[in-house]
Amino acid sequence: MRGRPGLVTAYQRDSAMLPTTTQRVWFAVFCIAMVALTVFLPDDLAMRAASAAAAAVGAIGLNLVTGWAGQISLGHAFFLGVGAYTAAALGGEPGGPLIGLGLEMWIWLPAAGLVAALAGLIVAPIATRLRGLYLAFVTLGLVFIGEHIFREWDSLTGGIGVGRSAPKPIIFGYDLSREGSFFGITLSAEQQYYLFALAVLLVMGLLAKNMVRSRIGRAFSAIRDRDVAAEIMGIHLGRYKLIAFTVSSFYAGIAGGLIWTFVGFVEPRSFSLTLSIVYIAMILIGGAASIVGSIMGAVFITFLPRIVDLFAQYVPFIEDSPTGGFLTSAQMEQILFGLLIVVFLIVEPMGLHGIWIRVRNYWKAWPFSY
Amino acid sequence: MTTTKQRPRSDAPDLAFTSMTAWLREIAGDEPDRIGLREKEFGIWRETSYGEYWELVKTVGMALWALGVRPGDKVAIHSENRLAWVVSDLATQGIQAVSVGLYSTNPASEVEYLLNHSEAKVLIAEDQEQVDKALEVRDRLPHLEKIIYMEPRGVRTYDDPALMSWDMFLTVGRQQLVETPRRFNELVDGIDLDETATIVYTSGTTGPPKGAMLSHRNLVWTAEHSTLVVAGERPPKQAEFLSYLPLCHVFGRLFDLMAALSLRATVNFAESIDTVVADLQEIQPTYFPAPPRIWEKMSAVAQIRIADGSPAKRFLSQIFLKIGGWNADRVLERGKRGLLGDVVYGIGWLLVYRSLKKKIGMGRCLRAVSAAAPIAPEILKFFMAIGVPIYEAWGMTETTAYGCINPPGDIKLGTIGRPAQDCEIRLDEDGEILARHPGIFQGYFRNPDATAEAIDAEGWLHTGDVGEWDGDHVRIIDRKKDIIITAGGKNISPSELENRLKVSPFIKEAMVIGDRRKFISALIGIEIDVVSNWAQRQGITFTTYRDLSEKAEVIELIRKQVDEANADFARVEQIKKFDLIPKELDHEQGELTATQKIKRKVLAEQFADLIEGMYS
Repeated sequence: MRGRPGLVTAYQRDSAMLPTTTQRVWFAVFCIAMVALTVFLPDDLAMRAASAAAAAVGAIGLNLVTGWAGQISLGHAFFLGVGAYTAAALGGEPGGPLIGLGLEMWIWLPAAGLVAALAGLIVAPIATRLRGLYLAFVTLGLVFIGEHIFREWDSLTGGIGVGRSAPKPIIFGYDLSREGSFFGITLSAEQQYYLFALAVLLVMGLLAKNMVRSRIGRAFSAIRDRDVAAEIMGIHLGRYKLIAFTVSSFYAGIAGGLIWTFVGFVEPRSFSLTLSIVYIAMILIGGAASIVGSIMGAVFITFLPRIVDLFAQYVPFIEDSPTGGFLTSAQMEQILFGLLIVVFLIVEPMGLHGIWIRVRNYWKAWPFSY
Repeated sequence: MTTTKQRPRSDAPDLAFTSMTAWLREIAGDEPDRIGLREKEFGIWRETSYGEYWELVKTVGMALWALGVRPGDKVAIHSENRLAWVVSDLATQGIQAVSVGLYSTNPASEVEYLLNHSEAKVLIAEDQEQVDKALEVRDRLPHLEKIIYMEPRGVRTYDDPALMSWDMFLTVGRQQLVETPRRFNELVDGIDLDETATIVYTSGTTGPPKGAMLSHRNLVWTAEHSTLVVAGERPPKQAEFLSYLPLCHVFGRLFDLMAALSLRATVNFAESIDTVVADLQEIQPTYFPAPPRIWEKMSAVAQIRIADGSPAKRFLSQIFLKIGGWNADRVLERGKRGLLGDVVYGIGWLLVYRSLKKKIGMGRCLRAVSAAAPIAPEILKFFMAIGVPIYEAWGMTETTAYGCINPPGDIKLGTIGRPAQDCEIRLDEDGEILARHPGIFQGYFRNPDATAEAIDAEGWLHTGDVGEWDGDHVRIIDRKKDIIITAGGKNISPSELENRLKVSPFIKEAMVIGDRRKFISALIGIEIDVVSNWAQRQGITFTTYRDLSEKAEVIELIRKQVDEANADFARVEQIKKFDLIPKELDHEQGELTATQKIKRKVLAEQFADLIEGMYS
């Protein structure tokens, strides 16, 4: 109803992703602005932005299982790895010493998600029988098993210290890693990566948003808030935990396939516990149980090294060279990373999204305070 | 000497319809898909189109017919506002029967009186609460044959043969429609404009309620005219109403049934009186009628919430409220804001007014009306300041709520406005306001004496309100019987003092006493929400309403409010002493009328010791 946002005449409106015209317009403006941003990004920033968008897909995946369904998962690195190696195997050069089928991206990217989802599906039955700390430990075990497999399966991963090159991002014969021109605008490989990752993020983000507003999403929240109560309300715990893990792994697989394709090289040691922690930090800092929060967190964490470098130029005791000074920027980054997790958990548990909500509420309540 | 002022009578053509039901039929035929009603159910406003509305009315009409209701019979409706209320009303009128509304707060004893006095044959009751009231006095209701209940919860197990569920009732109606598919339309066509359509019982601040008979002519004529007065010549294509004023009261009926039909508007039924604030925010009605009680509450809540705001918000709001007050004065003086005023208002609209109005549900309001009781000018000015187009009007049950209104551009605070189009107003020798127009009621049901007292041979209605002319505007002094004459011989209008007191957000009820007394005193009831909020911030602990009322700090707070109010009056008119009422007044205990007006006689008896305490 025009000008009467509160007048809800159907539940469809009540649970719409963008219930009001104003929201729809702003969303469109934002998307267009993000696309337009491409031409202004220098290559290094475009690369980072592309990684951030891909990482955001992974963060959304982790948020589904941890933020919404409340199942703490330290195993996200494993699923990212499964995605990355599936992509590498399916898209790699055929005929070499390593497994490679030479398929195009439109096959290997979804396949990366599906294989990771399959891995999630296999792990899920164990996870559905555990909760809390025990679940965290089981998923921790997953990371160690994964690391071991990646290290030892030389024909897939190239082995420790050697690694393998990532698949070529070719869609229907078009190679994203070569400079291309659209409507007279020349785009570098990095800028094309960014646009592609943005498109994937848009699709995956909307799908996730659609899921969490539906019956499945409500079931997730119910399980998170109190699994016993959820079960009594008729929610099949096993089924929904299974869905949560499978879908989350699918997202991780897609993200894994994308990120290492942009990087160009896959090394087995990348998929360690640290990577899992980084993703947990993304959703903690961004905001648990929020799609926008996942994106904000991923962007923030991905750009953190750049931010620290920027500091290094002005703050005397931080040096951007790897040897000199009191602190190197890499050390500073580690410290800041830990500090941020602590500060956010204590001061703003809702994350960046929580800050946004507070700012929005300040203006929404105008001219009152509540 | 009598003075008569009247607006020129327009050459009124014959009325377009012979009844409100026929009017509905016209709309349903014309625009069957237009949304007529909305009712909130499980968080969603469920819509009913005008086509479905008409089908329902037809079904209910035929159901009543099947139950033996014939032209002239009475059908009582005892319910809060809801879809079934308006449907039952129009259905009853459609089969040439007479509808009678009961307040949902009416206690069993009043239900007995009203049902017996009106000789109702069928009672359409809302739920167990209302059914129980009727069943309690069932053996003393000789005329009542059938009780229809809308909500089956709790009533399902009752075995009284007179009971019938709403669903069953509709089934009966549908069967009757199959048997006699044309009868309802024939009955509607056969309506005589001068037959009684409905009986509206006056709230009765003194004595038992009187039943004012309103004819189809009264309703249709007033519907046409009031729409013209409120919405103008070019009404908006889509108007939203929020139905929360009791439909059994003429003010609610005027808007939610008559004006709504004539504007082809959508009527949204509030969930209950307690949710009006939330419902207002959702509906943002196009036209909003409210008694002073509601306006006082809205302004109090807005001001409290502004005061609770963060410093920046509070600062900005208060500045623009002051500027708004300045602007309101300009409107009062010249009829419009002028260029400078418009610019200032525009800035304020961007910064404060727009969001403030949205918060209180007045964001899209084209015309707000205050009526049913005198309102304090300060309250009106508050709303004018933030840009709510509010106009005080006057009408009464006996005039089908049609009388005077302050027109845009010519507002005089403290007056009820100028006589509305085609309404003649005259002052009697003693200052009593007399009114005459085609909306004047037919008379009191089964009370020829009172009818003769109210309508004289020339058709003038003696309203019982004493007033005076202020230019073209009418200023009401008070109800004729309420005017206080002090021991010193001074005439005092208690409602003026009471309304000034009620400007304070801390004061909910006030009754001024002083008839044949040495000085004026007042009984005051605090506004519990506001005062408890204040007490919390002062760190005063309390338990109940009574406990809070007896706190020395609260008495001191009210004393300040009284002193402030006193400053506006001459010495002899000032309140010398006051006391706080130890309980919240309530309709069901007989202290208030159904329309929340105080019953002076009851209060004077109930709190006699408090009153004597002030004079001893």
